[in-house]
Amino acid sequence: MNKAKNLAFSYSYILPSFILTVVLGIYPIAWAMRYMFYDYKGYGAEKFIGLDNFTRVLKDHEFWNSVVNTFVYAGGKLVLSIPLALILAVLLNQRIRGRNLLRAIIFMPTIISTAVMAVVFFTIFNSYNGILNQFLMKYKLIGSAVDWLGVDYSMLTVILVAVWGAVGNYMLLFLAGLQNIPEDVYESSALDGANKLQQFRYITIPMLGPVMQMIIMLAIINALKGYESIMVMTDGGPVGKTNVMFLYVYKLFFPTAGSGAATQIQEMGYGSAVAFVTAVIVGLITILYFYGSKRMSQYE
Amino acid sequence: MKKKLWTAALCVAIIGGISACGSKESSNPESGSSGAKTKITYWTGDRHDSEYIKELVDEYNQTNPDHIEVELVIKGDDFDQALDMSFQTSEAPDVIRVKENTIQTFYKKGFLAPIDEFMTDELKEKFPLMDNLNSFDGKRYSLPNYGTTMRLIYNKELFEKAGIASPPTTLDELVADAKKITEVGKGSGAYGFAQNFKSPASALGRSARVIAEVSGYGGFGYDFKTARYDFSPFKPIIEAFKQIKDDGSMLPGVESLDIDPLRAQFAEGKIGMYLSFSAEAGVYQSQFPAKIDWAAAPAPSIDGSFKGASGFLGGQWLAISSKTQEKEAAWKFMQYMYNDSTLKQYQEKGFGIAMVPSVSEAAATPSVKGIEGFLPNKYDGVWPVAPTVAVQGTKSDDAFFKYIVSGGDLDAITADLNQRYNSALDAAKASGEVKAEPMPDFDPAKLAGQYTK
Repeated sequence: MNKAKNLAFSYSYILPSFILTVVLGIYPIAWAMRYMFYDYKGYGAEKFIGLDNFTRVLKDHEFWNSVVNTFVYAGGKLVLSIPLALILAVLLNQRIRGRNLLRAIIFMPTIISTAVMAVVFFTIFNSYNGILNQFLMKYKLIGSAVDWLGVDYSMLTVILVAVWGAVGNYMLLFLAGLQNIPEDVYESSALDGANKLQQFRYITIPMLGPVMQMIIMLAIINALKGYESIMVMTDGGPVGKTNVMFLYVYKLFFPTAGSGAATQIQEMGYGSAVAFVTAVIVGLITILYFYGSKRMSQYE
Repeated sequence: MKKKLWTAALCVAIIGGISACGSKESSNPESGSSGAKTKITYWTGDRHDSEYIKELVDEYNQTNPDHIEVELVIKGDDFDQALDMSFQTSEAPDVIRVKENTIQTFYKKGFLAPIDEFMTDELKEKFPLMDNLNSFDGKRYSLPNYGTTMRLIYNKELFEKAGIASPPTTLDELVADAKKITEVGKGSGAYGFAQNFKSPASALGRSARVIAEVSGYGGFGYDFKTARYDFSPFKPIIEAFKQIKDDGSMLPGVESLDIDPLRAQFAEGKIGMYLSFSAEAGVYQSQFPAKIDWAAAPAPSIDGSFKGASGFLGGQWLAISSKTQEKEAAWKFMQYMYNDSTLKQYQEKGFGIAMVPSVSEAAATPSVKGIEGFLPNKYDGVWPVAPTVAVQGTKSDDAFFKYIVSGGDLDAITADLNQRYNSALDAAKASGEVKAEPMPDFDPAKLAGQYTK
């Protein structure tokens, strides 16, 4: 009896989280998984259409363009942010004056609202009166205004903004990893004549392996899912150049076109199918990475 | 053990709290009790008139004899999503702002309640019935207040500097004028033309649409005569925009330009002309006070001849939620908002152009600089509503914008659009979602001049 009571109390601890998980996590997924087999526009009859939505996904050039864009965006973000975060973490792990302040400054973008951050960057990068162009032109570094959010440079711009927003977070995680490496390992290697670069290559990197594996995995998932700053800065444009998977899905569910535009139609059924395919892509990449990077976690 | 009991009680309290958040009734304890206030909510996404609406609501809350208290909620660009969510969570507003391009969807989603039971003969006489704009399937869901005209808005100073005597009336003149303005203005950062291409649908919905309409073609590519989509009339319009871009006469950065930054640049004198709505007059009075002398002129047509009507958009304003528990109170609030004095002031303050004939006759010209160019003229008229279809693949506005920026084969683009839009139309007709019958006698020229004083 006492055991049963204890069990009841134990379950009561997890009940709130369980309810929230079911209501906010499992129910929406189940909802979407049902509607991906339907033609449903948010009103009227729900028409069962079997696998038609998936056939449409296969032929949807805009979606596959968004998949390619996502890979470019995520790849660019990872290639720039992970090494930069590691370098900053190593530097700010040294005993230098003001390191806490520097850590706080670099971490700050992580706690700033993505929308606010994107609006600020829009005022920096816009071509007609952006601060960046004015600065570069003032110092004669460019002859005429560069369209940073135009067809040619928009992807680069959104990647740079994403790196700015992410690097502080990864730096902090690397710092936590670095602080777990025992100091005596460095001391004994120094006695053996190892220089700083050799310590970094043969001690820091290998011993950070398990942490780095997790950081990169989180970074991959975040980069593949990211769309908020892109939505504010370019809304996926121009001509789909920065349209990433999750933004594409969002627009299928919540189409907005502004004044003067024709009435928009929500594509709940098709959007659910695209969301499912998107989740499968993100999941596959994560699994591939996890198995491909197993060696990184073997330095415990 | 005691500690465990407290923890369990806390968990129950949290769960109770969460479920209470979803209950509208519990958040409105005063409703229904004797002598207490009846609380209703009014949601709008409009910002241009927000101060005036706040004043009206405050006045109503203080003066209405029915003890009705209206909570005004002004939403941002997420208005439609928030409304969707509110109906899912039983937190729907009682009164909803509806627009030309939302009322159909809201009606189909079942968000709106018919108001026929409140319509007296006098009201029926006063407020024009507009099919698919304020009435659906024989029932009325909203009433008109103001309409929005579409015009070419131009910087008079740049026109003068470029030696242009009058605004363009043809596409060729539009291209040439944009070039001339850029030639004289580029040195000081001014360009001939601009469009808010961050949203191609909004950019072309306020430019290509009106040029097509005054030229006698449906603004969204739908031909009312044949009941088929045909985007080929848009070809010269899109070619003209592309020419302006290729000439370097378009403001740099239009690819990511939203409407407000465009307006800010126009107010600073950096844009020679653009096409938009009559709301711009109020914008340059308060939101972005214009530092330049500007005016509005009729939109150019393809070849200078007016074979259609410049779209006068509107026909709806407020509607009552189908989920309201206080329909009577909601209607009383609507009646207050639709009184002659409010509607007159709405025009006189420059928020919109009266679409109710009796108000239009009585209201003075708005005291807003530049509004005179937006007042209805013999070319303005209300177009019928084109069917809404779920087209697969690239939408027409995105396809045209891509052509403007990157080029391509415009004939192939329009042929592809026609094929896909008509397939979607056929599917929608087959499923009974839309009704689209040919109107052999449809004459777009006859739409013009409905609202000329």
